[in-house]
Amino acid sequence: MSGSRTMKSVTKVAGTFLKHAFLIIMSIISIYPVLWVITLALSPGESLVAPHLILGFIPVPAAPTLEHFEAIPQLHLLAGATFPVWARNSIIITTSSVLLSVAFTLPAGYAFSRRRFRGQQVSMFSFLLPSMFPGVITIIPQFLLFSNLGLVNTYLGCIIPYSVGSLSLSVFIMKGAFDSIPRDLDEAASIDGAGEMRTFYRILLPLTLPSIATVALWAFMGSWLDWALANVMLKDNTLWTLPLALYDFIQPNYTYYGSFAALSIIMSIPVFIVFMIFQRYLVTGLTAGSVKG
Amino acid sequence: MFGRIKGSGYLIILPALAGLVLMVLYPFAYDIFISFTNMSVFHFRNPTWVGLSNYVFVLTTPDFLTVLRNSVVWTVANVVPTVLIGLVLAFVLNTKVRGKTIYRLFMIVPWAMPSFITLLIWQSMYSYPFGVINTLIGQVGIAPINWLNDCNWAFVGIVIANIWLGYPFMMIIFSGALQSIPSELYEAASIDGAVGFQQMRYMSIPLIRPTILIAVLLGSIWTFNNFNAAYLITQGGPGICTTILITQAYKLAFGGTLAFAQAATYAFIAFIILFVPGILWNRYTGLTRRVS
Repeated sequence: MSGSRTMKSVTKVAGTFLKHAFLIIMSIISIYPVLWVITLALSPGESLVAPHLILGFIPVPAAPTLEHFEAIPQLHLLAGATFPVWARNSIIITTSSVLLSVAFTLPAGYAFSRRRFRGQQVSMFSFLLPSMFPGVITIIPQFLLFSNLGLVNTYLGCIIPYSVGSLSLSVFIMKGAFDSIPRDLDEAASIDGAGEMRTFYRILLPLTLPSIATVALWAFMGSWLDWALANVMLKDNTLWTLPLALYDFIQPNYTYYGSFAALSIIMSIPVFIVFMIFQRYLVTGLTAGSVKG
Repeated sequence: MFGRIKGSGYLIILPALAGLVLMVLYPFAYDIFISFTNMSVFHFRNPTWVGLSNYVFVLTTPDFLTVLRNSVVWTVANVVPTVLIGLVLAFVLNTKVRGKTIYRLFMIVPWAMPSFITLLIWQSMYSYPFGVINTLIGQVGIAPINWLNDCNWAFVGIVIANIWLGYPFMMIIFSGALQSIPSELYEAASIDGAVGFQQMRYMSIPLIRPTILIAVLLGSIWTFNNFNAAYLITQGGPGICTTILITQAYKLAFGGTLAFAQAATYAFIAFIILFVPGILWNRYTGLTRRVS
């Protein structure tokens, strides 16, 4: 009979089964903390009680409630600022940092792609250098510098470092984007009488929009979610950004798990949506050389 | 408006270069300078040169060896599993399998969620005795573990959380590399009789080796430098059980002692250790290479 063929189809079915089993387990692991934080956010009270588990492993709130989400506008720690103040601080600091970051990156990426000048290799390398630094290496001197300049406890104390924080990655993303546009296009535009500025605005910018968005996204995430630098620069509770507040809700001596979870979800949603839209652009630049092969 | 923008390339990169020099390169040089002084809360405005004594002090404290060992173990224990899981996921998702898109979507979640927040979520998952992880292991009869207050479990805990954060990125990079392999090569391999694992072992892996190399280098640099994962969950504790070089630097500077000089010394040592993999990453990716 067709013994070997039966064997083959048995291994095939077993293989498919194993694949799905593996993928299902990894999917559950991947979303598990999200299930957990949703459970926390929808459970009444601020303290942690053992969650109700469906099938022995999926956490669900025992008595679902929206009280934590409804309380967010009035959310505050023991004494001091409320959620709207932190949100405003975060929005001001993040918007300024993103705009400045893009304004720094575009011309630099353009010059590295389209111009040839002495010392270009050296300056490109100096842009790459920070990607090898531990971030903390700059926080210490920045803090000392800013405390001499009186910038500690101001928005600028965060905005300035954030706006150059993602520069070393961004400049190369933009250089790569401009490199991928054939020079013939620039030349054709210049034959048609367009100046370099005009060519840049009318031709190069529209074509590199996804990369510009990526640059903005990196800057956004660097400032919207930073804790380490903000923790050092922003001492006053009224100047705090959302990450500082969020962190303080789960300090060992006073934990507000319900508020923490609800705030986590509110803070994550914009990032999650933007991220899902742009994720395929986010790896460009990091592995540039390897893909070109 | 018309004609060439006046000035050389230098003028165009000036704003970015100025920002880079003032906010990154100058602080970096200043950090090295501080590490040779006695700057602390006592000598905040008038630090004096003390030569190598910070280095001698740091390198001879028993803490240093522990922290260095933690950094190395931390990096290896994270990079190896993330790369392996990422590779396996990329391979499985590159085969014919139903529901690929949905699996992929789930698998990207750890990457798409802000890591700052998910790390704090992990902290709450580890809480004792009612965190969900203790509830889960309770289902199979294991007594609750006081994860974040036990030296070894705390380390295991932050490694697990960070592996969870890391594999989606690896999966995406490797998927991209696998998809760039022309389908003719797979056909040719099938004609030659190579199936499944043989194709993977003798064709796909060698072809994406450059990507694997870059992923390992980049993963090592990021993990070694990963402040958030090693600090937010445990603050380096209990004791210095989960402290790595850069969290030690942060703790010394801002954790109450304001020992800026020693902190700068730790930070610079971390930089020196990273310099070689950093240079290699630059060479392999060719980011600074000019397009001719």
